[in-house]
Amino acid sequence: MTLLEAILLTVMTASTPLLIAAIGELVAERAGVLNLGVEGMMIMGAAAGIAVAITTGSSAAGVAAAILAGMALAAVFALLVLGLATNQVAAGLALAIFGLGLSGVLGAPFVGVPRAGIGKIEVPFLSDIPFLGAVLFRQDPFVYASFALVIGVAWFLGRTRAGLVLRACGENAAAAHALGYKVLRIRFLALLFGGGCAGLAGAYLSLVLTPFWTSGMTSGRGWIALAIVVFASWMPWRAVAGAYLFGGVTILQLHAQSAGVPVPPQAMAALPYLITILALVLIMRARSGGSTAPAGLGRPFVPDR
Amino acid sequence: MTITRRHIGLGAAGLAGAAALPGTAEAQAPLNVGFILIGPVGDFGWSTMHDVGRRRMLEVLGNRVTATQVESVAPPDFDRVANQLARTGSRLIFTTSFSYFQPTVRVAPTLPNVMFENATGTSTLPNLSIYNARFYEGRYIQGVIAARKSRSKTIGYIASFPIPEVIHAINTVMRGAWSVDPQMRIRVVWVSAWFNPAREADAARALIDQGCDVVCQHTDSPAPLQLANERGVFGFGQASDMTRFAPRAHLTSSVNNWGDYYAERARAMLEGTWRPGDVWGGLNSGMFRLAPFTNMTPEETAEAERIRDAISSGRLHPFDGPIVRQDGTEVIPAGQRLTDDQIRAQNYFYRGIDVAMP
Repeated sequence: MTLLEAILLTVMTASTPLLIAAIGELVAERAGVLNLGVEGMMIMGAAAGIAVAITTGSSAAGVAAAILAGMALAAVFALLVLGLATNQVAAGLALAIFGLGLSGVLGAPFVGVPRAGIGKIEVPFLSDIPFLGAVLFRQDPFVYASFALVIGVAWFLGRTRAGLVLRACGENAAAAHALGYKVLRIRFLALLFGGGCAGLAGAYLSLVLTPFWTSGMTSGRGWIALAIVVFASWMPWRAVAGAYLFGGVTILQLHAQSAGVPVPPQAMAALPYLITILALVLIMRARSGGSTAPAGLGRPFVPDR
Repeated sequence: MTITRRHIGLGAAGLAGAAALPGTAEAQAPLNVGFILIGPVGDFGWSTMHDVGRRRMLEVLGNRVTATQVESVAPPDFDRVANQLARTGSRLIFTTSFSYFQPTVRVAPTLPNVMFENATGTSTLPNLSIYNARFYEGRYIQGVIAARKSRSKTIGYIASFPIPEVIHAINTVMRGAWSVDPQMRIRVVWVSAWFNPAREADAARALIDQGCDVVCQHTDSPAPLQLANERGVFGFGQASDMTRFAPRAHLTSSVNNWGDYYAERARAMLEGTWRPGDVWGGLNSGMFRLAPFTNMTPEETAEAERIRDAISSGRLHPFDGPIVRQDGTEVIPAGQRLTDDQIRAQNYFYRGIDVAMP
């Protein structure tokens, strides 16, 4: 395996959790709900995933538990912001802190229990393609899942009637409601999807990337996923670009350091953020017209009866 | 009566006031000891071992002490947490990271009735002690073992921040390695975090992909060691015995033990004999030890044990001269030895390390 292949492989594994969490949050935000609790749902997924995987001995059960844990936390959030129409920013921040704390309690018995990670799946024939095969088709299941998710979400939002209705709820909830759509139910489902994705991203951390549990192990990746949604201007394909740009620069700076490139490590550590901001500015300059945020993003909707 | 925060505050203030009166408090109120941790208790490394130390202190001193611990405190939040601990009655506060040293120096004079102890700081105050272990002694042994184990002659070093503690650790790994083979080289990646498992693992991937086959880490999670195991290279555990994370890769870990020190200092508070101090305990102090050597041949183990014992008894010193900086200027000639202050102030790499100083 060449060094370039090795770097690309690492970039993909570093970017995948960001992409999975971002794509879930993107759907929730397109439905008009801003859920800042991604970090909390993600780490709950990481904790539940490894806890169940260790207890049952099954990685698949762990992944399922992670998705359910993310969804459960999202359901709590939905109860607050949809059921009680509370402030989404405040509830989201509370959710992030709550998830971090609860995951520490849940994971406490599993601190320091080592476990083999989920292995890679080689796609027959395709993985033999020189270079591309090794990078694209010798990956763990989560990487494939992340691409399936992006394709699925892009198709759903852009090409289906249900996707159109979901976007309508995010743009103008009152209008969608007037047309007879159940805005709150649709937003609830979108939130559940976002929570499930965040949980899945957490499972990737605790079951594949660093297969063990320590509290706080997401180390802020949930916040980055939120930023990627904005970077992507709420479009699924751009989320891929955002996640891979961020993951790519993160890994490249580590390689540059290892190769002895004489740049201060503090500047290197800031590089992924700087480049992301720079790219965002350039995208914004190139685009004509205003922001592409869903018009109803963050606004509570209370249906009149 | 309803208990409100105000009442609790009054009660705590009363307790603190009573405790501040010499001679009256000892019989009734137990000493409350505060702990501020940089990472989560469950990091299985640095912060875990401070928590183990706290529990050891409680075990030794029984009901004469209580403890309040706040984990994962980011340096910007330090002042608030320290003040909160002081307000709620902590009279001795351990601030367990070098990242807290400057904040502790800033806060300590404003709370003259509270005694502070900072792990790995570099100066004292009338109410501030510093304590640390000579982890570099273990690093020297890591260097020796790494040189025996490496076939590519390249050590990968995952470093947190470019502070003297980390810099002199890199220097001692190289000294140890050169004592076996002067061809040994090192690559360094700074991850700008003490605890970020996935990034630590990514750094290990980068180093291994570039040919390093022994990984040293100066970060707190077992992720790099676990990755070394997955990739079939060797590594060392940090702060606690990490053998189980890497049964095929683990060589040794440096295992911290703060409990006896914590108990001793809390006892000094109880007896009124606490004085600001500067403790830097080596292998012979029990402040840290090396976990059993694994994945090594009997000869390699024997050599490592011999060097460990020589350092422990003072026959071998990792900072004997001559010491020459990367840029060629001499620090000390042959026959001299760096003083503790010189070790602590180390902000240069040795000649031969071809990594740029950040």
